[in-house]
Amino acid sequence: MVGVKMAAAAAASIRERQTVALKRMLNFNVPHVKNSTGEPVWKVLIYDRFGQDIISPLLSVKELRDMGITLHLLLHSDRDPIPDVPAVYFVMPTEENIDRMCQDLRNQLYESYYLNFISAISRSKLEDIANAALAASAVTQVAKVFDQYLNFITLEDDMFVLCNQNKELVSYRAINRPDITDTEMETVMDTIVDSLFCFFVTLGAVPIIRCSRGTAAEMVAVKLDKKLRENLRDARNSLFTGDTLGAGQFSFQRPLLVLVDRNIDLATPLHHTWTYQALVHDVLDFHLNRVNLEESSGVENSPAGARPKRKNKKSYDLTPVDKFWQKHKGSPFPEVAESVQQELESYRAQEDEVKRLKSIMGLEGEDEGAISMLSDNTAKLTSAVSSLPELLEKKRLIDLHTNVATAVLEHIKARKLDVYFEYEEKIMSKTTLDKSLLDIISDPDAGTPEDKMRLFLIYYISAQQAPSEADLEQYKKALTDAGCNLNPLQYIKQWKAFAKMASAPTSYGNTTTKPMGLLSRVMNTGSQFVMEGVKNLVLKQQNLPVTRILDNLMEMKSNPETDDYRYFDPKMLRGNDSSVPRNKNPFQEAIVFVVGGGNYIEYQNLVDYIKGKQGKHILYGCSELFNATQFIKQLSQLGQK
Amino acid sequence: MAVDITLLFRASVKTVKTRNKALGVAVGGGVDGSRDELFRRSPRPKGDFSSRAREVISHIGKLRDFLLEHRKDYINAYSHVMSEYGRMTDTERDQIDQDAQTFMRTCSEAIQQLRTQAHKEIHSQQVKEHRSVVLDFIEDYLKRVCKLYSEQRAIRVKRVVDKKRLSKLEPEPNTKTRESMSSEKGSRHPSQESEEKPATEEYPEKVPAESQPELGTWGEGKGDDELSPEEIQMFEQENQRLIGEMNSLFDEVRQIEGRVVEISRLQEIFTEKVLQQEAEIDSIHQLVVGATENIKEGNEDIREVSTLGPPRSPQCGTTSGQQPSSCWHGCLSALLGPNPQGSPDGTTQSHLHPHQTLGPHYCQET
Repeated sequence: MVGVKMAAAAAASIRERQTVALKRMLNFNVPHVKNSTGEPVWKVLIYDRFGQDIISPLLSVKELRDMGITLHLLLHSDRDPIPDVPAVYFVMPTEENIDRMCQDLRNQLYESYYLNFISAISRSKLEDIANAALAASAVTQVAKVFDQYLNFITLEDDMFVLCNQNKELVSYRAINRPDITDTEMETVMDTIVDSLFCFFVTLGAVPIIRCSRGTAAEMVAVKLDKKLRENLRDARNSLFTGDTLGAGQFSFQRPLLVLVDRNIDLATPLHHTWTYQALVHDVLDFHLNRVNLEESSGVENSPAGARPKRKNKKSYDLTPVDKFWQKHKGSPFPEVAESVQQELESYRAQEDEVKRLKSIMGLEGEDEGAISMLSDNTAKLTSAVSSLPELLEKKRLIDLHTNVATAVLEHIKARKLDVYFEYEEKIMSKTTLDKSLLDIISDPDAGTPEDKMRLFLIYYISAQQAPSEADLEQYKKALTDAGCNLNPLQYIKQWKAFAKMASAPTSYGNTTTKPMGLLSRVMNTGSQFVMEGVKNLVLKQQNLPVTRILDNLMEMKSNPETDDYRYFDPKMLRGNDSSVPRNKNPFQEAIVFVVGGGNYIEYQNLVDYIKGKQGKHILYGCSELFNATQFIKQLSQLGQK
Repeated sequence: MAVDITLLFRASVKTVKTRNKALGVAVGGGVDGSRDELFRRSPRPKGDFSSRAREVISHIGKLRDFLLEHRKDYINAYSHVMSEYGRMTDTERDQIDQDAQTFMRTCSEAIQQLRTQAHKEIHSQQVKEHRSVVLDFIEDYLKRVCKLYSEQRAIRVKRVVDKKRLSKLEPEPNTKTRESMSSEKGSRHPSQESEEKPATEEYPEKVPAESQPELGTWGEGKGDDELSPEEIQMFEQENQRLIGEMNSLFDEVRQIEGRVVEISRLQEIFTEKVLQQEAEIDSIHQLVVGATENIKEGNEDIREVSTLGPPRSPQCGTTSGQQPSSCWHGCLSALLGPNPQGSPDGTTQSHLHPHQTLGPHYCQET
């Protein structure tokens, strides 16, 4: 009998599930059990770039070591034969990879081979490997072959992206360019559907799918439905039977998959943001949970003519273990700055405590009669010493976040991002604007040309009616003066024309941002985060379009926007969809997937939305993750045609 | 959920085999293939390294099994009279301790040996790295097994210490023989009584309670006709006193014990940290030496450059002792007028350059 657990478990943590799957794979495809006096087993891990992207946010090098991995190498690198060692492969089943694997077999690099394919391998490729193995007389060395169905990258407990390596293939531009052929579109859709399918296999649930009509999302939905249906019907090989659902996780309710297309909301990816994680993604070099900083070493005056000081490159991993990050990644930036200060202060207090003990210990040699004091201090010393590793870890995190936050703050100050943020919020919520758009665009101090372009595009997208020709010319001139490239505007014009035909313009809800006064507490504590001149803005909860759509569908609310969304249920016998959902109850779990790209702002918005609701879970996924810079580039390429 | 397609793979192998046979393709596989495989595999260098590594691991495994097997008996203290099975004398325990220690020593030596040898013959970076990580794993395994050993030994040592303390608290008044015998027997009695309750805390409570009647009856049994009522009284008083003493001593012992254990733990931690830091300090030392060299060279270069600057001071670059003359020259030129070369020698005196800390004040171009 399949154990019955309440609904919360199934969509709980995709990160955990994927990590468990990876660990099992690394343990020679046998569930991993910790044993303190177990014999060491060693192995090498071979991956391709896809595998690397999947593993790196989930397992650190230390964790790999703990699993017995001595070396981890790229498939397409020079690898020397290492005798008497089993090798675990984790690769995509592409032509080149298969060729390289066959080459390895022929060169007899390792003792035994455990082949794991990220997504399912075709029969013919399997035969290629068989052929090579036969030729190399290495058939018995191939110990196990597995299809892992792990073709997606999990970044957070509840967020995933499809891929990093070939994101050009499934980018917004790739999907929306006017000169795309049918076959190319098919390929793109197949890639997306393959990953989504792997996602649901790992999740162990068959969703109910809803999508809007007439978009790329609909194509994805149709294909996904078909693939799931085929797999369910195939009783022998079905991946969704009870015993493969993993350790008794069986939810009463199935999750809802909402497929949306990027085109319903182009303003959000361009929006300037104010929460920590989104800011880091927008302003710094951040991907796969790793942020790369260039630090200019100090403000010493270098003698003129001397070699310029080399900038240190530092990269930091922002992991689930980092408690500060987990707590504050969704907080508005001033709060983050304050919290770093607080953490620093508490760390200093603890450090002083330890130092004080040091001086007390210094007394010990002189005063014989202090034996009784000693016993108390021994205990204190023990506790201090044992808490040292914690303290060191805390210090490391504080350093990390100080550096990151300082870098972000520098950008904010230099580009006046707070001004942009406030202004854009006002535009998007259609409150009255106190400054004219033209002023901001013409202001040479505020922001890079890209920032201005973003602002203008948001204005253009959110405007109920397009600005008059004369106004438009004025704006265009101002933008060109500021150094902007006008190609994105071309594309947005086309998009807007198309979007107007399709549906009513989306509104962004009512919201206001209130500046909290320039004299924030941060300044008063004399912190290093001197936020003078930076407004301390408070975010009020607003629902972005994606969140609103999700809300309607999840709570079964009736709304003209979502009423004619298509409905697919792969488990139903009859293949045709109907617009009438059979299920009348609100859903407990939902997965929102944006075809064409997503970003952290939407993710954060969903997280905030679901925080208020008990017992409900949301997962956010997108075909690629881009920040505004990358998106503008794509728009510009699209506008060039 | 991963899908095992190994069987599918094997089926593919068969398919390919039959296809190749049908096509008449000569292939290394086939029925002979398996034999060929065997042949081909045996001359393959299995690698000294890995076979020895596995040997070490199996040794450590044996040690671990040995320790686990006898662990229960070892810890089950003082089972002299308890039962026929599971009895372990102290000598046996000592034997186990010694064996385990020599074993661990040989294992760690073997690991060291492997480490030095492993890097000798091999040129490939990857293999080297792999081997060093493998050796780290083995060391870690050894450490874990040693922990088993040290845990049970710690318990035993604690008990021995307790035992010794208690045996010293035997009464004095009787003859020396009785003392010596009593110290022997006394050590056994407490251990006998405490069989049922191995917890160390129970010892002293039981021991005074038990030893008193023991000694009492014993005393009576031994020299009954010798003792007079007064002496019995005295003995009893003495016993009471001794009980009081022992209780207080026991408390102190417990405290000290706790502290000693903590201190030893701290000691371990400190040793570890110091050793860790040693490596870092070494590297820092290297860096500092290197930096000093660089700065020295830098100084030399600057001195040379300053000789080229003001052409009137030929000795400027050689030794620092000659510097003042060039400075003097520099000052002279400042007095005479602005230097056509524009080198602000006159300002050198007030201009502090970081390099100056290492050498005497000398002219330089900025």
